[in-house]
Amino acid sequence: MIFVTVGSMMAFDRLILSMDKWAQAHADSEVLAQIGDGTYRPSHMRWTRMLPPSKFQEVVRNAVIMVAHAGMGSYFVAAEMRKPIVMLPRLAVNREHTTDHQLHTLKWLRERPGVYAAMSDEELELAIAKAMTGGSVAGAGFTSFAPEPFVRRVREFLVD
Amino acid sequence: MQMRRLQPAFDGLDVVFVGVRSAYAEEVPGHRFHAVRDVTRWDRIGLAILVAQLTFILMRERPHVVVTTGSGPGMIALALAKCLLRARTMWIDSIANCEQMSLSGSRARRFCDVWLTQWPHLRRTGGPDYWGAVL
Repeated sequence: MIFVTVGSMMAFDRLILSMDKWAQAHADSEVLAQIGDGTYRPSHMRWTRMLPPSKFQEVVRNAVIMVAHAGMGSYFVAAEMRKPIVMLPRLAVNREHTTDHQLHTLKWLRERPGVYAAMSDEELELAIAKAMTGGSVAGAGFTSFAPEPFVRRVREFLVD
Repeated sequence: MQMRRLQPAFDGLDVVFVGVRSAYAEEVPGHRFHAVRDVTRWDRIGLAILVAQLTFILMRERPHVVVTTGSGPGMIALALAKCLLRARTMWIDSIANCEQMSLSGSRARRFCDVWLTQWPHLRRTGGPDYWGAVL
């Protein structure tokens, strides 16, 4: 199963529309999408508005790959579950976010193993194909918590 | 999500979480959790409700320290905690902001005792400071 997520409630119809087309072209693939507040309702893949965190984790665990917006939360989930993740950044010009920080995020995040960047809708197809066959998962060498020195300094501030 | 990666820093402390979705409560079992309204910067009524919710939570919980990774609601929580309770406050700008501090992060500056970016190249004399990153 391929799990598609827009990350938060904020709509990202461009991703959902593109993935609905992808699902139509790959009818043998099972696709589930979390579409948030989006107005486009997919007709070629199963979809839901929002999953509670526990259910979300279960779905990711059962997924072969994730296809998501370029949000850090989605990356962390993929890394924790050791899944490949395809990421499409939200763009301010389309009012998909208030700024282009997802574009900036993906420019460095794509250097990490298991992250397959689609900088535009047209690149999704190839990025998904790479993620399915690439064999590399997000979060190789990934730890559950932030590096110890950072945690320690925050701790010192908290208990000071 | 980024706050969860700092969880060991909170071990053994009395911690209350505030988030914008009640479902997030399952992420912090064993801790008190309050859901507040999520607002964008254009939503004035939502903003008024959020301020009321946060004020109520702060007056009831009376935290000594408030830590947030953003965004808008986190900034307002820090401001209220500083003004109402003189709490010690920490802003950790999201690791997603690698080119500049977020707008809410810039605004949070004057309510912060510790004002952090997660990118070393964004550190400046006089702030933001850089202590590390969650990744």
